[in-house]
Amino acid sequence: MKKLITLFSLLLLTTFAQAEDVNWQKIEEKAQSQTVYFYAWGGSQDINNYLRWADKRLQAEYGVTLKHVKVTDISEAITRLVAEKSANKNSNGSIDMVWINGENFKSMKDFNLLTEPFVTNLPNWQYVDKSLPVDSDFAEPTLGLEAPWGVGQLVFIYDKNKVDNPPQSHSEMLVYAKSHPNKLSYPRPPSFHGTSFLKSALIELSENPDALYSPVDDTTFAQITAPLWSYLEDFHQVAWRQGKQFPANSAETLQLLDDGELDLAISFNPNEVFSAQANGLLRDSTTAYALAAGALSNIHFLSIPWNAAAKEGALVAINFLLSPEAQLKKADISVWGDPTVLQSSKVSSSSQKTTLFKSISEPHPSWQIALETEWQKRYGH
Amino acid sequence: MNGSIQKISFHFLLVLAILVCFTPLLPGLLGLLFSAFSYIPALNMQNFSLMGFSELLLWPGLRESILITIFVSLSSTFLSALLAFSILQSCWNKAYWKKLESLLAPILALPHVAFAIGFAFLFTPTGFIARLLNTLFNDFSITHWSLINDPYGLGLILGLTIKEIPFLLFMSIPLLKQLNVNSTLMTAQSLGYSKAQTWQKIILPQWLPKIRFTLFAVMAYSLSVVDVALVIGPTSPATFPVLIWQWLNDPDLATLPKASAGALSLLLMCLVLLYLIRFIEWLTIVKYRSWQTSGRRALPLAGKSALLVTYVISLTPLPLLILWSFAQRWPFPELFPTHWSLRFWQQEWSFLWGIIGNSIFIALISATVALLFAIIIHEHSTRAMADRQRFVVPRLIISIPMLAPQLSILFGIQVATLFIAHQYYYLWVIWAHIFFVFPYVYLVLDGPWRSYDKRLDMIGLSLGMSPFKVWWKIKRPVLLPTLCIAWAVGISVSLAQYLPTLMLAGGRISTLTTEAVALASGQDRRISAIYALLQSLVPFFFYFLAIFASQKTGIIINQSTINKRSIAHHVPDSKESDYY
Repeated sequence: MKKLITLFSLLLLTTFAQAEDVNWQKIEEKAQSQTVYFYAWGGSQDINNYLRWADKRLQAEYGVTLKHVKVTDISEAITRLVAEKSANKNSNGSIDMVWINGENFKSMKDFNLLTEPFVTNLPNWQYVDKSLPVDSDFAEPTLGLEAPWGVGQLVFIYDKNKVDNPPQSHSEMLVYAKSHPNKLSYPRPPSFHGTSFLKSALIELSENPDALYSPVDDTTFAQITAPLWSYLEDFHQVAWRQGKQFPANSAETLQLLDDGELDLAISFNPNEVFSAQANGLLRDSTTAYALAAGALSNIHFLSIPWNAAAKEGALVAINFLLSPEAQLKKADISVWGDPTVLQSSKVSSSSQKTTLFKSISEPHPSWQIALETEWQKRYGH
Repeated sequence: MNGSIQKISFHFLLVLAILVCFTPLLPGLLGLLFSAFSYIPALNMQNFSLMGFSELLLWPGLRESILITIFVSLSSTFLSALLAFSILQSCWNKAYWKKLESLLAPILALPHVAFAIGFAFLFTPTGFIARLLNTLFNDFSITHWSLINDPYGLGLILGLTIKEIPFLLFMSIPLLKQLNVNSTLMTAQSLGYSKAQTWQKIILPQWLPKIRFTLFAVMAYSLSVVDVALVIGPTSPATFPVLIWQWLNDPDLATLPKASAGALSLLLMCLVLLYLIRFIEWLTIVKYRSWQTSGRRALPLAGKSALLVTYVISLTPLPLLILWSFAQRWPFPELFPTHWSLRFWQQEWSFLWGIIGNSIFIALISATVALLFAIIIHEHSTRAMADRQRFVVPRLIISIPMLAPQLSILFGIQVATLFIAHQYYYLWVIWAHIFFVFPYVYLVLDGPWRSYDKRLDMIGLSLGMSPFKVWWKIKRPVLLPTLCIAWAVGISVSLAQYLPTLMLAGGRISTLTTEAVALASGQDRRISAIYALLQSLVPFFFYFLAIFASQKTGIIINQSTINKRSIAHHVPDSKESDYY
C-alpha cells in the first residue's frame, strides 16, 4: 500500500514537472509546512546568519522551513546521496537542496543524482541576468538542473599600507616574490582556491589557452601545461616556506596576511575583504583587486536531488533566494557581500556598490583533476 | 525460580548487547570490502577488480605518507606510555596525588579537535609563544620556526603524546589500585631496592599487560586520526588517514575505490602494529626478562617535569580559547586582543541551547546503554573463561570500531539503515554512537574486571546470596569508581562523534561537535573558539561528576550493607590505604 502511494505520487510528480505550464501556485500550496533540508558549507558565520534570515522570511511568507545542514565539504552530501542510490531510495530522500558548482555538479549530473530540469519554471527566473554564464558551470552545460545563486571571482587581497604596487599578473607575482622572498604563496591544491590559482596561472602562461575549454587531451596535456610547471619551479624557490608548505585554504591566507606572513591573500568573493574588516579579521587598510587580465569567474548554484522529500519546498526556497529581496540582502557587504545574479535594474542601488571585475571563464572541469594530479605528482610530497 | 529468571534475563541482555554492538560491523565491513574491490552498483561499477589498489599504489608520495604515519603513531604511543609511566613512578601515592586525579578531568575532557586548535594557537609562528618571544626580545626572526604542519610530524607527535598521557594516567588509576603498589614497594625496599628500581623492575611488568588494551587504543587512534592531523599534522605529504579522508571526500566519485582500498590497508596496517606492540611487550616481559633481575640500575625518569609540561601545554589553550571568543580583533604580534566584543556569543546564544541539549541527550543514552552492555559482556567473559569452554567475544572484534577508519565502516552502515527505515534518525544516530562508544567503555572496565578479586564473590555465594545479589551487593560497589569513570569516558566519546552523527542523522540532528567541525573549516578563530570551549566544558562537567563520585564511593563505605568483617579480611592493605 505504502509503496503504491509512493509510486502514484511519483507518477504525479513526474507528469507535473513535464507539464509545459507549471502551476506555481499549486507548488506553493504543496510547499506549505514542508521542511527543506539544505546541505551547504557551514564554515562561514556570515553565510550561516544569512541562511538563518532566509529561513525566517520563508517561514513568514510561504510556511516553508529552511534547515541549514552545515557540512565542511558539500561532497559529504554526495556521499550520502550515493548511499541512498545504492539502497534504491528513489523517493523521500533526506536531502532537499544542495549548494554546488563545478566538479560536484558534474559528479551529481553524471550519476543522475539531480532532479529534472526546473530552473525556467521559477517565477523569479525572469530577473536573472542572462548575460552572466548562468547556463554553464565550469563549461559544463547546466541544462536547467541548477539555479544560479551568486557570482564568485578570484581576487587577491593586500594591505595598502605595506604594498604600493601589487603584482598585476602571475608573471609579475614571480618578479615580486624574487624581490620579497617568503611573502607569496597559494593554497595547497586540491583545495578549491589552490586549484583555481593554478588554472588562472595556466590561462595566463599557456600559449594555447583555448584548449583549456574542452576536455583534457592526454597527448597535449604536457605541452600545454609545460609553462605552468616551469613557472612554479621558479616561484616555489622564492615562495613562502620555499614552496615546501602551503596554506590549507583561502581562510588561512587571510589569517597569514593579517599576521604579516604573506603579502597577498586569495579569495573568491570580491567583497570578502569588507566583511573581514567589519569582523575584525583584517586591517582597514586592506583591499581586494583582480589581475589586469581579469578574474577567473564562476557562478555558484542551487540544486535539488532526484529523491528529495520536500521538492516543492525546495523550489519555493530557491525561488525566494532568487528574489530581488533575498539577492539584495545577500549582496549587502555587511551581511555576506556575495554579488547578485540578477539584472542590475532589479536590485536597488545600495548593492550596486558591488562592481564585478572583468571576468575570465573557468576551464572545463576535467582540467581540475588533471592539474591536481600533476601538481600532486610534482610537489605533493 | 528467581534464579532462572535472572539467568534468562541475563542471557537476553547478552544477546541484545551482542546484536546491538556487533551487527553494524557486518554491513560496515562488507561495504568497505565491496567498495575497496570496486563493486559499487550505484556508481555503475558492477565488477570486482583490483583497480582501487593499483590506483592507490600508483599515487605519488604514498610511501612517504605511510612511513610518516607509522613514525608518528609509534613514537607518540611509545612516548606517551613512557611519560605516563614516569609520572606514575614519581607521583603515585604522593600527598598531592588525590588532587592530581581530580585535576586530570579538565585535560581529559578537552576534545582532540579543541585541543589541536588550541595547540596550534600556541605553536604557530604567529601563535602565543611567538608573540611572547617577540615581545620579550623584540626580534621578528625569532618566529621563523614551525611546529605546526612540519614535514616530520614532530608537532603532531608532541600534540598526540600530550593528549594521550592523561588518558593513560586515567586508565592506570584503577589498575594500580588493584596492584598492591604499597606492599610491593615496602617489600622491595626492605630487600634494598630503591623506589625507582621497584617501579621499573616490579611494577612495570605488571602494569604493562594490564594497560595493553589501552595502549592498543592509543596506537590505533594515533594511526587513524584525521581531525587532529588536519590541524597540526604534516602536509607534504599528509598522513595516510588524511589522504584517505581527502579521497573519500573527492567530488570525483571514481576515487571511491582508491579511498576504500586505502581504508582497508589502514585497517591491516593497524593490525600489524598492534601485533608489534604485543610482540615488544612479550619480548621485554616474557622472553628477555633478565633486565628485571640483572642488577640494580634504574633509568632516571623525570616524571614531575613531564607532568608539568603536560599540564601547561594542555591547559594554556583554554584561556586562549576564552580570549579568542571575546576578541573582535587580535592581530600579530599583540599579546592580547586589541578590540573586544560580545557579539559572537550574543549571536550564537539562542541557538546553543538546542544544540547542547541534543548533544547531552544522545551522549547520556548511548553511554549508559554502552556501559550496561559492557558490564554484561564482561560478566559473560569472566564466567566463560572460568568454564574454559563457552564462547568468549574476541577482543579484536570488540575493538574494531576503535581501530577501523570510521568513514569506511559508516558508509556500509548508512546503506543498511536506508534499506530498513532511514527516517528514524535519532535511533540510528544513537545506535552508531553506542557502537563507537562501546569499545572505549569496555576498555575502561577491562583492567579492573580482570583484577577483581573473585574471592569476594565466593564469600558472598558461600553466605547463601544469589549470584545477582552477590554482584549487586559486592562486586558493583567495589567496581563503582571504575563504572563512574567508564560512564564519563563513554559520554565524552559520544560527544566527540562527528561522522556518525552527520552521516546517519541526515542533517536532522546537530550537536556541538558537528557545528564545531563545520565552523572550523572556515577558520574564524572567534566562532571556533566558542564551540571548542563548549565542546570542552560539557564533557568536563561529566568527568568532574565521575571523579567526584568515584572518590565518594570507595569499597569500604559500601560495605556497611554487607558483612563487613568477612570482606575486610580479604581486602589487601594497599586498597584500604588507596581509598583513605
